[in-house]
Parts: sequence; structure tokens; C-alpha cells
Amino acid sequence: MSASGPATDVALRPWPTSEKEALDRAELHNKVVQLASERGHLRLITEESLQEEIDTGKDAVEVAVMEGVEQQEEVKSTQTKQDRQKQVWEVRNSMWQLTEWAEHYASSALDLVALVLSRDPTKKLDSAFSPNFKQQLVPRGTFGLDKGIYSTPGQPVNQDKDKDKDEPTAEEKKAMIAAQGSRMIALDWSVDSILNAANEMKKEVRKENKYWEEILSVSRQGWPLQRLRKDARYSPFAVRYGFPEANPLFKSRGFAPLKMDDDGSIILDPTLALKPKTLRVRISDDGRISGTSRLPAQEDESGLAIDKSIQLAKDSLFEEELYHEMSMETRQLLSFGVEMRNTVINLLVSGSGFGARKVLIDCIPREDNLPSGEDHSQDWLAQNIADALRLLLSHEHRMRLLRRMQIPPPLSLQTRTHRQPPLLRALLAAFSHVNAVDSLHSHLRRLVKTLESAGLAISLEVSRETSWTRLTDIIEESNKPDMAAMDQLVDLFIKPLEGQATLSLPSFAFLKSVSSEKLTVTTRTFMAHPTFGTEFIVTLPTSLANVLHLSQDQKREIKFSPPDSTNDVTSYVDWIISLHLSHTLIKDTYGKRAAALDGEPTVAIQLKGPKALSKRCVSVSLNDSKLQVALEPSDFEKQHTWDGSHDDLSFLSQVKVLVD
Amino acid sequence: MHELLLYGQVPESRHEQLLKILAGVAAMQPRHVVERHLVYKPQREPEEPGAHLRRGGTQNVGVKFKQVGQKDLYFTQLVQRLSVEDFNKSETNQPGLVIADGESAPESKWTFEFQDVPQPVNENHGVLDRMTHSTEVLSGNVHEYMAQIGNQFVSEYYQDGHLFVHDNIVLLLHRVLAEPAPATTQSTPKERLPSFDSLKPLDSQGTYVLEAKIRLHDRDRKGANEKDAKGTDVMSKGVEELRRFKNQMKGCVDLTTPDRLLLDTRVKYKPKTLAQPARPGQVVR
Repeated sequence: MSASGPATDVALRPWPTSEKEALDRAELHNKVVQLASERGHLRLITEESLQEEIDTGKDAVEVAVMEGVEQQEEVKSTQTKQDRQKQVWEVRNSMWQLTEWAEHYASSALDLVALVLSRDPTKKLDSAFSPNFKQQLVPRGTFGLDKGIYSTPGQPVNQDKDKDKDEPTAEEKKAMIAAQGSRMIALDWSVDSILNAANEMKKEVRKENKYWEEILSVSRQGWPLQRLRKDARYSPFAVRYGFPEANPLFKSRGFAPLKMDDDGSIILDPTLALKPKTLRVRISDDGRISGTSRLPAQEDESGLAIDKSIQLAKDSLFEEELYHEMSMETRQLLSFGVEMRNTVINLLVSGSGFGARKVLIDCIPREDNLPSGEDHSQDWLAQNIADALRLLLSHEHRMRLLRRMQIPPPLSLQTRTHRQPPLLRALLAAFSHVNAVDSLHSHLRRLVKTLESAGLAISLEVSRETSWTRLTDIIEESNKPDMAAMDQLVDLFIKPLEGQATLSLPSFAFLKSVSSEKLTVTTRTFMAHPTFGTEFIVTLPTSLANVLHLSQDQKREIKFSPPDSTNDVTSYVDWIISLHLSHTLIKDTYGKRAAALDGEPTVAIQLKGPKALSKRCVSVSLNDSKLQVALEPSDFEKQHTWDGSHDDLSFLSQVKVLVD
Repeated sequence: MHELLLYGQVPESRHEQLLKILAGVAAMQPRHVVERHLVYKPQREPEEPGAHLRRGGTQNVGVKFKQVGQKDLYFTQLVQRLSVEDFNKSETNQPGLVIADGESAPESKWTFEFQDVPQPVNENHGVLDRMTHSTEVLSGNVHEYMAQIGNQFVSEYYQDGHLFVHDNIVLLLHRVLAEPAPATTQSTPKERLPSFDSLKPLDSQGTYVLEAKIRLHDRDRKGANEKDAKGTDVMSKGVEELRRFKNQMKGCVDLTTPDRLLLDTRVKYKPKTLAQPARPGQVVR
């Protein structure tokens, strides 16, 4: 191989080796294959053809090389070897470069095609991209391809330019118009988007404005606001409307985040948006509703919706807590005739003047339009009960704060019990007390009237509740600086109620003086230990204690416990008065002639004159406010009854008539 | 009864701020509390430490002799609850100052208080723990009473502060006031209150002290059933609550336990100085 030969003529062939004398089988085989590939089939190779080849100089190079190699072998064998090696490496390098370029161009073309095709989302081309291209993270579908109207570069353009520069061709005009149009569209689009952005901005500003306005208005109404740390983007504020001293169940509900609506107004948390509820009290007489408490008036439309709904939520929370506390309380009051039926608290109220009266308390949605009963005669009572219950609960709230502010008792192993606020208890106590006191007082008044008609002097002083009569004094005198007057007032209704009736013992009217001996009946009501209802305590004066042969140190108090204490006490008072009439008044009149029968309102009187040895028994009885004087054994002719109507005959003269 | 205590210091400039913070924490308005403290000390002098130990040989027959420990003597206090109005009442209007005239315990203005030395601080607890005893004095001349049972009047001071109740913790943010006049040797408490404005804080910087206190009953008793025996005793409950409060107030007031011996209420023994023997020739007056 000559050094001048162009690179293209390079023939690759194995490095000539020194010829061997004898070829082994494998080498021979290789040789044959080599020859076959160089010359074709052996069959075609003849001596002439080979000779001809040599003559024509075909493969002369080879021969020359071979010859050259053989000739120069000794001369510069080492140098040639190095040079050739160098040459081969150079050539090899350039070849590598070329192939790499080819590969690069090919893959670039492939990438381009794939990128153009990738606009079509249905095609899956991920494998078509070269790893190199993938690394560049070119977004798919970003390369557009369009058929242009460009003339082929080179000659035509040059020709046009040469012709005349002023007159654009039709194609150029088209292109210009198209360019203008597309520019206009682009401008239009950008104007639109700027306008949109402005609108969006305006909306946002309006939204923020509205939100802050409402927040301010909520704050101005006096609701305490507080920041929320969580989810601060949409509801940075929360409103607290619950009662700080409420039952823990309800305390946690008195708090709601103020979220921003789409148009900026505040949407309430679901807890705020719950249906507001209200307490309803109904009076049922013999199963017929005769009175309903007034439901809260539908509020006027002024003011923002948010203020109203917070107000509603607060009201509802209060009413629900009230109802909850009462339903808890019913569990302890079964024995007082309080029961829970279908979420309605039934309170049995016994009393005179009406049949089976029940107070029904329930909690109903505020919006409900209720069929208002036909009968409104007891509406006042229902309304008063509802108001009283609300007052009691808010009193309880204030008392909780007051209790919390006191220095706590030392920690100990005993757990402090949570006291149930007396709501229904206070209601029951008031009913029971007023009822008992009234029936006692009416009985005593009739008794007084009857006795007065019989010519006896008697005085009566009554008070329903001793503390009610001097309310202002109690509040003024109190030395509890922590308690407001309001709380002290309500406190009086929770404490045991105590009414008093003082009856002076009857004496003869003609003495013109009222006896100083007084019979006192105290009515005490408490719906818990130790009374569990209304009890009466009759305190006897000393003269009656003598009649009953009570010793000095014995207590002169007689207690009548519920139930049915009213009947017991009235009959006892009747009996004790009749005992006084017979054993004191009649006996004193007749002096030694009279002898009282123990334990019975009967006096045996010795007759005067000829019948001095015989006795007449006069019995006095008071029953159902009728005073009766009779001779024993009973004789219809010899008796007289006063029933309160005007009567000329006095008690003493009638007795005298009977005896003499 | 026992008390668990933590103390913190508040500079005067932060007093207002802390009042508001505590009002928020305790969810109640502060209650102004003014107290007058009379300090008493037993008339008897304390014995010399170790005096009860046997010295030298004895002639006692070899009966096992029970060694009786030395009795410590303590300072005690009478505390009178006052209000600012009481200071400003005219002389004629002031009731007998050392006369208690309450009819019931809450009305009683006077309390007799005894406080023991705090116990060494348990590292697990990190709060001071001391035994206390307080008795309401209902009626009578309290000073006379104290003198009769063998005490002598030492001094008096006033305490002006605000009270909060946070669950079981009683918080008292207060400072000690004293009359500016140099302490004269008073043998009886004053019969008349000085005007409130004339009282000066004992600490001239006017620093306030925040005292967090939990009172305990049956400190050492465990819960009745076995399950409660561990961890639910009153002591750990109180300690836990105080610690929670301490963490809550972190960064606002640093609540710590002072050295227990700063709150020592024992009367110190002072060795009697022996009279110098008269030198010969000197005239003994």
C-alpha cells in the first residue's frame, strides 16, 4: 500500500504473516474460505485468468504491497509498523466521528419527528425519544409544524429581488395580511386577558371588602372575635358566642369559625347554621292544651344576616342547654311525677281549682309554625314558667362563676360532685308550696269566719313566704359583696321556701281581747333532702301543751310530712281548736263542775240543782269549717252547727242552752 | 393540710400586663386582697441544739432511756383580711383593730396561721411542699389570745395583691408593704391602721411576687382501690397540675422553687452571751 493512496481505497485485510511451509487443516480451511470470498468459487479460477489478472495489473497494489513488504521487510520493518498503526488509528477515529455524527443527525431527526407527532395525544412516543432529548425535558407537543408558503430558498427569491423590490408578489401580500391578522388576534387576546385579570381583581377586592365589613360589624355588635391559626386562609377569624360558664357539652359549641363565601360574605360554620331551637312550655288541663308560652318573635329584617344568625345560634344554645339540664334533672324527679315522654318533659301539678294539670316542656325548632291552641286562658302561666326557667339557668351560670372564683377546697381523694342545677326542682317547689300554703290559708280563713260567727274572737296572720314579704330588706342587709341583687333575689327561690300562718287561740268575743296564745303553722318546701316536698310544722302554745299533757321539756312542734300533708294538718288544726274550745273555754266557764275527757273534745258537766249527781257530756267538733256543739250520746235535737253564716246564737250561750 | 408552692418574680412595670394575662388564663376578674400580718414568736427561748443529748456519764440505772427529740419553736402569724376602704376610715369609725367579731367563718376577718419549714425539694416533683395549719378566729381579742398562749409580738407587715383561682391553683400576685418609719420596738400591734398610701413596698423596686399554690388534704394517702394506688394520689395530681401551669406560663413568668431555708419559720437559737466577770478593783455598778 502506497502512502499516497487515497483513504477511500483502503482495503482491510489481515496483517500478512510469514508464510508457513505446511498449513494445518484448520489453516488450510481458512485459506480456502478466504480465497473463496476473494476470488469466487475455486472452479472459476484458472491459471489463465490469474495470469491475465497479473498482466492487466489488477490487484497490482496488493502484489506491490506484498512485494514491497517482502522487499522492505528487513529495511524498515519497525518504522512502518508504527506508522501504519498510527494511520490506522487516525482513520479509525475519523470513521468513528463520522458515524457518531450520522447517528446524532439521525436521532435528532427522529426526535424532531417524534416531537412534531407528540402534539397528537393519542400517540405514545416516549420510546421514540432519544435519552439525550428526554433529559432536556422539552415539553411534549411544543413544536408546531406548518406548511409554509415560503418559496424554496435560493434562486427564486434572489430572482424576485432582482426583478423589483417595490412590488410584492401576491404571496408576500398574503403573508403580510396574515401576519397582521394574527397580530391583531394576539393583541385582542391579551387585552381580553388583562381585562379579565382586572375583573378578577375587582371581585377579589370587593370580596375582601365585604368580608372585613362583616367582620367589623360582628365585632361592633360586641361578639368576641379571635384568630384561628389553622386553615388561616379561608377563615382567619372565629366568633365566640357561647356562655363562658355553660355546661362543658355546650361550652365547646359556643364557638364557630367565620369562613369566606364566594362573594365574600361570611358563611357560618355548620354548628352556627343548625336550625335554631327554642323552648316551649304548654299547660295541659285534662289532656287539653290551655296555654302555650310565647315563641320568640320573628326578628326584624334590619342588620346583617351574620349578626342575626350568631344571635340565633346563641339563643338556641341557651335554650338547648336549658332543655338538656332539665331532661337530666327529670331522672331524679320521677317520684315527684316528672317524666320524659317522647322528648317532652311532663310535669304533674296537683292543686285545687283544676283537674289533672300538666306542664309540658319541650324544645322545638324555632321556625316551626305551630297550630296555636284555641284556648289561651293559661298563656300567662306558660309564659311565666318559661321565663322563670330561663332566669334560673342564667342564675346558675352566674353562680358557677362565683363558685369558681372562691378559693377551692383542698385537693383530696374525694371527688367533688357536680351539682345539678335546680331548675325543675325550683318550679316544682314553687307550685307545691303555693298550692299547699293557699289551701291551708283558705282553710284557716274559713275556720276564722266560722268561729267569729259563733261569737269567738280570733286573729290570723298569714304569709306565703316569709322572705318574699321583705325582699328589699334582705337584699339591702345582705353582706355578700360578690353577689348582684338579681342573684340574691333568684337565690331566694332556690332555697327552701317557708310560709307561716299564725292563729291566735279563740277566746270569747265579749272579753274584747284576743288571746296572746298563738298557734303557728309553718309550711316548708324543699324538693330534696330532708323534706322532699312540702311539710307543715305546727307549733303549739303552752296552754294547748297543758291540755295535751305535754311535759315542759317536750318539743311543742308537730311535723306533718308529705305526701298528703295538707289534709293531715287541716284536720289536726281543726281537732286542736275544738280541743281548745272544749277543754279550755267550756271548762273554764263551768269551773269545777266540768271535767274534760282526755284526748277527746268532750266535756262532762255536772248539772246544777236537783240533778246534781248526773252529768251531761258536751262535745265540740270542727269539721270542714263547720263548728258543731252536741250532747253525747248524740241527739239530733240537742245540737247546733255554725257554718260561717251570720248566727245570733253565740257559742257560749248555745252550750248553756244545751247544758241547762 | 399541705401546700404545694411555686414562686415567680415580676417587675413592677409588668404588673398590669401580668394581671391581664392571668385574668385571661383563669377566666375571672382579679380580686383585690389586702392582708395585715402580725408575726408572733414563742416567749420561751429555743434550747441549744444538741442540748437534749446526754453529756457525760449518768447515774441512771440501765433502763433503756428513750431519747426525746428536740422540740423546734416556730414563728406564727395572725392574718387579718382588710380592704382598702378600711384604711381610709376615720379614726372613730375603725373597729377595734385586734378584735375579731365575725359571726361565722367566712365573716371572720382573722386567721391564725402556722407554716412548717418546706420539705426538701423532690427532684421528681419540682415544687415546694410544706405543712400548714390555719384556724379561723371568730371572736375576741386576738392579740390577747396569742399573748396568753405564750407568744410575743414581733412585728407586722401588710400584703397587697390580687387573687385568681385557676382550677385548683390559687394564684396570688402580691407584694409586701411596710410602714416607712424605722422599726420601733413595738410590743403590741398598732391600734390604728396607717393610711394606705403611706405604706411603702418592702422591696424598693416594687417587685411583685407570683405565688401559685395548691392545697392538699391527706397528702400521703393512696387511693382506696388498688388501681388508684399508682399515680392517682393527691400529691401527684397536685404536682401535675402545678407543673402544667408552670409550662403554660413559660416565657411570661418563670416559676421556680426558692431555697427551702428561705422560708424557714423556726426560731433560731442564739447563744447567750455570758456576762464578763468583773475585774478586781473595778466598781461594779
